[in-house]
Amino acid sequence: MSSEEQEKGYKSGLIRSLNPKGFNLERYTYMLHRITGVILALYLIAHIFEIYHVGLAVLNNNPQIWYSTLAELSSLGILEQIGLWIVAGSALYHGANGLRLILNEVFGMLLGKPVLPEYPYSPTSLSRPQKAAVYIITAVVVALWIWAGLYLLAGLGVI
Amino acid sequence: MKIRIRRFDGSKSWWQDYEVEAKERDTVLDILLKIRERQDHTLAFRHSCQMGSCGSCGMVINGKPSLACQTRVLELKTELIRVEPLYNFPVLRDLVVDLTGFVGKHRAVKPWMIRRNPEELEDASSEFVVTPQQNMSFVQFDYCIMCGLCDAACPTMALDPLFLGPQALAQAYRYVADPRDEGLDDRLEVLDDAHGVWRCHFAGSCSYVCPKGVDPAKAIQFLKKDILKRRLFRSKKESSSPATLPKVEKVPDNAPHPPPFDYKFEEVSQA
Amino acid sequence: MPSQYSLLKESWVMILMYTLALIMIFVLTFHLLLVSPLTGKSFDETLSYSFVVHNLTYYRIVFGLLLYAAVIHGMNGLRIILLEWIHPKRAQWAINLVIIALIAVLLAIGTYTLIVV
Repeated sequence: MSSEEQEKGYKSGLIRSLNPKGFNLERYTYMLHRITGVILALYLIAHIFEIYHVGLAVLNNNPQIWYSTLAELSSLGILEQIGLWIVAGSALYHGANGLRLILNEVFGMLLGKPVLPEYPYSPTSLSRPQKAAVYIITAVVVALWIWAGLYLLAGLGVI
Repeated sequence: MKIRIRRFDGSKSWWQDYEVEAKERDTVLDILLKIRERQDHTLAFRHSCQMGSCGSCGMVINGKPSLACQTRVLELKTELIRVEPLYNFPVLRDLVVDLTGFVGKHRAVKPWMIRRNPEELEDASSEFVVTPQQNMSFVQFDYCIMCGLCDAACPTMALDPLFLGPQALAQAYRYVADPRDEGLDDRLEVLDDAHGVWRCHFAGSCSYVCPKGVDPAKAIQFLKKDILKRRLFRSKKESSSPATLPKVEKVPDNAPHPPPFDYKFEEVSQA
Repeated sequence: MPSQYSLLKESWVMILMYTLALIMIFVLTFHLLLVSPLTGKSFDETLSYSFVVHNLTYYRIVFGLLLYAAVIHGMNGLRIILLEWIHPKRAQWAINLVIIALIAVLLAIGTYTLIVV
């Protein structure tokens, strides 16, 4: 990579777009929404192949096909539970934050009205209603996520 | 006080440190000017008004896109100040970036009044009325000084150089929201494109860094709403028509000059 | 042709994304509740053969809806992220092709599973 390309600024774009350091709260939600989206998409692919084994089991009238799939996954040990926990958290967060984004983008809510800018500026799109929505989402998602975590760990006999 | 500047001379780039005395009210721009006067006259940067209304001195200061003339060094509260050229722009030299693409994107969204019947603009008999309430729906987005900070802060701009960017999209909404304008359909071709308004995912950083309180993120979300309404319900905006003032007869160009007004001062009787 | 009549525009893709997202808010919540403590079973018990087959047959339409919504929403989301990141024309063309193939394969497998159970 020549230094000229480096200076164009697009090369480190992926890292810069996902790094919210020094920016606003909504930038963190953007990062999490992206990352959880990718996690869910990749899990979805695996999940469809996983459930395919239920179909095979029914077709052959042999539940062992499904149980051997489960056994293969259990061989991961606690990693399986942690993975499922991350996927559950991703789904909760992506859904809740997605609902907020739909309110923002489709219905134009939580943004405030156009105002006359007066110093010191505080953009209404990032002020109280928006921040409140973000905090509520975070609180609800964290609570449900802990609940899911306890449930998954209980299956392992840890609790 | 130490200031670390990202230099670029056309082929190679490097960080260069300068040691400067900073006074209480010095801005980063003041420091840069001092460096150029007394230490290194090869340092290149843009500036003009020094009071936050021209938008020339946009640069990334300690990782946040800011106007150098509005950032006081002591308010940064760091020992070392890192100054870089604006992100997401091609760098020409040191802190000077190439704004050609930026201005081109602004032009692409047609930032001017569009009427379905152009004659209304070219051969207007009277003005278009905008009430103060209507004015409030777009005047905020009119405050843009085109400094480019929002584009530098935008996470999508960091990935997709063809993305229109918050500046152009906010300006598009400024005209879409204007009651005198009827040009949403004309602008859809650029706005509703793979690199248009839908590449905004509302990270809100543009509004966070905007030095004029324009709030581009808000404008873009409203623009999305308007485009969805247009697509789904075929809705058309109610635009204002020229005010119905008494029609003034148009004076032909070669008409004789009207006679000068005859001033007659009545003598005030002195009591 | 006036652009407002064009169907191959990004906004229709986004309308699809928003619609599927709203559908999934309900359907996916339902799906998660079926593997939650509210079923009164432990997590391993919710994965038992009889329970899984019962759910898949009893709520076949719900799971079908979830399958189609999730695959299209998820894969298109992945496509958008990749297209924002990768710019060469040929690569973008390849991404579109791979995603369409992936959608087709996943929907085929999923639909097949839902039909046979």
